[in-house]
Amino acid sequence: MTSTATASWVSELAERHLDAAYNLGRWLLGNEHDAADAVHDAYLRAARSAHTYAGGNARAWWLAIVRNCCIAALNARKRVTPHADVGAVIDAAALAGGARGADAEAGVQSAERRGLVERHLRALPVEYREALVLREIEDLSYREIADVLAVPIGTVMSRLARARANLQKALAEDTDHGL
Amino acid sequence: MDCKDAARLLEPYLDGELDRDEARALEAHVDRCAECRAALEALGRLRHAVRSEAPHYPAPDALRERIRQASLPQTSVLRRPRRVPAWWRLAAACFVAFIAGGVVTWVARPPASDQLSRDLFASHWRALAATSPVDVVSSDRHTVRPWFAGKLPQAPLVHDFADQGFPLVGGRIDYAGGERVPVLVYRHDKHLIDVYVMKDDASTRRAAHREGYSLVWTKLDAQPAAVVSDLDAQELARFSALLDGAR
Repeated sequence: MTSTATASWVSELAERHLDAAYNLGRWLLGNEHDAADAVHDAYLRAARSAHTYAGGNARAWWLAIVRNCCIAALNARKRVTPHADVGAVIDAAALAGGARGADAEAGVQSAERRGLVERHLRALPVEYREALVLREIEDLSYREIADVLAVPIGTVMSRLARARANLQKALAEDTDHGL
Repeated sequence: MDCKDAARLLEPYLDGELDRDEARALEAHVDRCAECRAALEALGRLRHAVRSEAPHYPAPDALRERIRQASLPQTSVLRRPRRVPAWWRLAAACFVAFIAGGVVTWVARPPASDQLSRDLFASHWRALAATSPVDVVSSDRHTVRPWFAGKLPQAPLVHDFADQGFPLVGGRIDYAGGERVPVLVYRHDKHLIDVYVMKDDASTRRAAHREGYSLVWTKLDAQPAAVVSDLDAQELARFSALLDGAR
């Protein structure tokens, strides 16, 4: 591929799967600003390293770069605030609020429950959360998830199993009509 | 297959990752074993909860624009970099945040019919990717219907429309909307057409389009039927009318 052709291939790929990239960023980083920055970084990195693409699933290749940029941003965030995992603190506070809401009247209950699924998903450890988001929200196959996370398919399966088991347990504890 | 094997296969089954033989073996076990059936149903409910309640965040327009700008050829020698005034950027950010808030709220509450559409498209694509899109290969409707009758409480009405240009290829059973659904498979030239015969409940059913494939709703023998294919709209309408008229 010529460099112009490579550049247009990358920008087409990124634009076609921009929602998927941004959604993954939002679920990993938790806010719009960091997610957008990570996707932008990923685009620049993809454009630079397009020649390393060795065939295979292009969407998985692109999402793998996005995911690496997100993980880099998470690590940088940990270095800045070594003690407080801000996300966890917020999640814990939100969970406490959600648990109180479980007693509320039925009309409020479905909205509360909607929030519960989201909050429990956010509270999962990042390696379980990313696997589940890629499977359930982005509809990726095991093979594609394995490519994005750079792990064997067996690892994808065990992470999905743990993610689902944790989520089921958390929801069952919070709602009377457990899932 | 014992429960230990089955437990290991439940999630790959739900994720569409088993081959046909493994899937059939698991279904045979689940039909017999109430405990494994309950586990599969719980996983199905969890999936439904996550897919319908966890938000999917679409990329903000500002990000789309940033990527577009970054992809333009660098001509900075000829053109001085243009600075966007800070107040304008702030205004734009506020506007985007306002719009994005609305979009996320809207996307975060997909109606149940969206979940069903997703299942139906996913099933169709899985079938296209599989070595065979059918479990019972037959153009003979007198073979296909009894095959369903042995596996589902209610076998669908099966017709061959070969004379009208839509020969029957066969049938299969797939998972959609948390249920096992009979699927009739037809062909039109090179296009494969899946017909999902659903239960007649009162839920809303909407046509949908994804990645060049269409989902339309019609009736088959007074039951709602979803037709998924990459046929063009006109042919799809003609085929839907044939199903609707079948007696």
